[in-house]
Amino acid sequence: MEMKKYKAKKRKSEKAASWIAFAVLLVLGIIFLIPFLWIMITSFKVDIEIHQAGGFLLFPQTWTLDNLAHIIDPNNMQLPVFRWFLNSMLISGIHTILAVVIFSMSAYAYAKMNFKGKHVIFLSMLFLSSFPAIVNIIPLYRIMLTLGWLNGPLALIFPGLSGVFNIFLIRQFMYGIPNELMESARIDGASELKTFARIVLPLCKPILTVVGLFSFTGNWNDFLWPSIAINNLDRLTLTAGLQLARGVYTTSPARMSAVAVIAIIPMVIIFLFAQRYFVKGVSLSSGVKG
Amino acid sequence: MSKFKTKITPYLFIAPHVILFIAFFLIPTVFGIYASFTRWNIFSDPEWIGLDNYRLILLNYESTFHRQFWNGLRNTIVFVIITVPFQIIIPLLIASLLYLKPRARNFFQAVFYLPTLLSITSVTLTWIFIFNRSLGLWNRLLGVDVNWYGQQPFAWMTIVITTLWWVIGTNMIIYVAALNGVDRSVLEAGSVDGAGGLRRFWHIMLPSIKMPVMYTVVTSIIMQFNIFGQPLMLTEGGPSESTFVLLMYIRNLAFGTGNPIAGPASAMATALGLVIGVVSVGQLIVVRKAGEGD
Amino acid sequence: MKLKKFLALAIASVLVFALVACGNSGANDTATTNGGAETDTNGDAVAEEPTVEPGTEGTLEFWTMFTGADGVNMQAIVDAFNATNPDFTVNHRAMEANDLYMNLPLAIQSGQGIPDIAMNHVERIPVFQENGFLTDLSPMLAANGINPEDYIQKAWDMTSIGGGHYGIPLDVHSFVLYVNMDLYEEFGNGELDDDLLTWDEIFAAAPALEEAGLMAFPITWSRAIFLSMYGQLGGTLSTDGINPDFNNDAAVQVLDVWQELYNNGWSSREGDSAWEMFLGGQAMFTPEGIWMYNNVREAGMNVRMLNFPVFDVNRPGNWTSSHQFVVPTDENREEARYAAIFEFINFVGENALEWAEAGQAPAQISIRESAAFMDMPQAFLTEENAGLLIYDYKFYGYAVEALDGIFDDVRFGRMTPQEGLDRAVQQARDSIEVGGGF
Repeated sequence: MEMKKYKAKKRKSEKAASWIAFAVLLVLGIIFLIPFLWIMITSFKVDIEIHQAGGFLLFPQTWTLDNLAHIIDPNNMQLPVFRWFLNSMLISGIHTILAVVIFSMSAYAYAKMNFKGKHVIFLSMLFLSSFPAIVNIIPLYRIMLTLGWLNGPLALIFPGLSGVFNIFLIRQFMYGIPNELMESARIDGASELKTFARIVLPLCKPILTVVGLFSFTGNWNDFLWPSIAINNLDRLTLTAGLQLARGVYTTSPARMSAVAVIAIIPMVIIFLFAQRYFVKGVSLSSGVKG
Repeated sequence: MSKFKTKITPYLFIAPHVILFIAFFLIPTVFGIYASFTRWNIFSDPEWIGLDNYRLILLNYESTFHRQFWNGLRNTIVFVIITVPFQIIIPLLIASLLYLKPRARNFFQAVFYLPTLLSITSVTLTWIFIFNRSLGLWNRLLGVDVNWYGQQPFAWMTIVITTLWWVIGTNMIIYVAALNGVDRSVLEAGSVDGAGGLRRFWHIMLPSIKMPVMYTVVTSIIMQFNIFGQPLMLTEGGPSESTFVLLMYIRNLAFGTGNPIAGPASAMATALGLVIGVVSVGQLIVVRKAGEGD
Repeated sequence: MKLKKFLALAIASVLVFALVACGNSGANDTATTNGGAETDTNGDAVAEEPTVEPGTEGTLEFWTMFTGADGVNMQAIVDAFNATNPDFTVNHRAMEANDLYMNLPLAIQSGQGIPDIAMNHVERIPVFQENGFLTDLSPMLAANGINPEDYIQKAWDMTSIGGGHYGIPLDVHSFVLYVNMDLYEEFGNGELDDDLLTWDEIFAAAPALEEAGLMAFPITWSRAIFLSMYGQLGGTLSTDGINPDFNNDAAVQVLDVWQELYNNGWSSREGDSAWEMFLGGQAMFTPEGIWMYNNVREAGMNVRMLNFPVFDVNRPGNWTSSHQFVVPTDENREEARYAAIFEFINFVGENALEWAEAGQAPAQISIRESAAFMDMPQAFLTEENAGLLIYDYKFYGYAVEALDGIFDDVRFGRMTPQEGLDRAVQQARDSIEVGGGF
């Protein structure tokens, strides 16, 4: 009797708490969405109408698709957005696949193997990677030149694979995998590569999704390096190209907003696909267990 | 044979990344550090001048570069100090609200996470019209006439708000994951004792996710030391260079005028790298110690 | 599973884009001016070939900073040139000015991927020349039909350096005054007969405008406004061509005018979008570049372009720059290419009216005197040859960068004009001392 009463009370207070949480989150969520909504609405406005209204229009007087259409118009030789999109898909896609393979191999060695200099190598790489990369751009340019990669996709695919942070994430995740699993595989005579590929990798699916998403968006969103490494408008990535478009439309709020909308949409789509794995992936990777 | 093989295998596993690290990070970085000891205009060969660049930026009170370095470093640190606490507290709050299993939980999670996927260009494009003095939503809705980009403290506020909008999703998702990993019965035991919500949060929830929180403190600080795009694209460093951060000065010197001054720029970058490196290694040691204490 | 998902996503997003893109292209435009490039761009996303069909001999690489509306006009000229079936077709690559000035020296220095022709702002040419980045064109001019007398003298002379010649002017583009004529009829003082307004006239009209909630003179691009006014007063960035010394009385006088405008509420405040205010009909006078005229035309406004306001009617002056063709140094360039380069430069010169359509003022005298150009709104500038203020200073980049840093602080009263100018001069000096390997 006592217990029942208590449980009912508890359920009630839990319910109340969840409703309060909902209310607070709703307010915060709306605040978070306002910028998105605002640029979306603005991208449907007519620039001249904005100017004539004294610079501010809450809603468009005339709803138009012209701004968005102009940005993605395939005949728009100044801004070949469609082409940039294909370039970015290809470059970021290959980059991501390579990143997942290379990073997980390294992380496996650091997490599950014993070798001389393990900690020294990893920690010094981690320390060095805190140096701001901004002045490295010129030496990097020289290296790309020596390799003959300038003005091509390789120059955009490879430099980002030198990062250390993602290895750190995967390594933390792999610490959570019991060593016995690997031991038994080794006793059965499996090679390290086989153990890694057959036993460890499948268990790492969540964190690999996370690292894949980080790699993809990191590569997709870079604009400084592509604008230096690529001289040909047709070979630019979407982000670098849209940065250029931003310069073109400085006095045109509606066009600029359309640029932002076009830049955001692919990211939203990608995220909706990856979201399922997401929480699962981070849960074991961030040193939760200390 | 087999012994040799086990010895060499780990190195084969790390080799691809180590090679890429050396080729595309270490060599450029070493060259960048080397450049800080030279007079260099990027287009010609660097000329060795020893510690002159460091003397210039650290000690020469007459020099513009001295003023720029210290002003940039100070502004960067101010930004880190303002931003990082919010970058921890707000995601913690959101994560604990999500923990209460409200309606539309996944939707909220997605909304708060989405901005982290965007490039800095998209982020500032999204916000620039919100705060714009004459075209902006904010001033019109509030019926005020605030000069967000050109007046303190508003200039810092716009930068910090935009930054938080952009980045809090990452920490939030880590806390959500960490809380999911905590045994619910531990938390419920607290409520049986009649502990209030806030006290429960402070005494039971927070300690149980101590490690992820400390980890995010480290990564957030490192991340915010690299502040660059937000002030560049929102305030352009104003008013009176009060939001001009160090990376902006470095970039201006190296790429700004068409006549690059890469020596002092490299010295500033190296100094910043050392600051970040020391801060992050120091934190990692603290975190490790705390971890052992558990 | 994951890969499948990824592919599904990739295909889905491509489809979304393709659908939107096709829907639009059908509605919008069927006659694309660009023949070869269209078919070429479809297949492989990162093909190695240039985007134009090479001529019988090959392709000339042509780099410009025309990423805006003017890029369309330049592309049209290039397409027209390629349509004449030249031995070398031209591949036009537009990039942001900053990227161009970064990439050009890097390419020259590396000896690879050097363009055959590039567009440079005239201020850049002395520095690039000193570094040996530019080909001396003087031995080739006569043989290729380039006659210095055909060009505006000021623009031509600036790229004659040390006995050589390094640039062929495409245009001169000036910073002028836009006047909203509807407002002028109501608030202005009398007929606008001489294309010239004095500061006194602007100040006289300002109070009435302010009362009506309008603005007399918003500040758009501080740098160009400063250089226009300062040049009218005879100011230079450096007296001896080396040491910056623009912290003088003339510069103070210019900044005093700005402060007066601002303090009286006649000029834009910090954070205002000055040009948008003009486009929205809230400002009577607004200084901007002639290249912004398309904006005004699109807005359907009743606007006139005038010379930049003057202190003294006898000393007019519009800050002006010039786009010039340069030929970057390339030891491996075959001789045959030089003739082709000039063939293209001459072709652009002959078709400069198309360029004028973008609001620019061509540098060739014959075009400037043509009836078609005379009908264009920027034509008034032809009479003002003497008033073109082109700054010829090797360390122009350092000087204007330093000035950009203090304009707002002075205008909004956070520094006195003298303090601001002293700081800017100091910064320019330090930059030259430490970085001036040039």
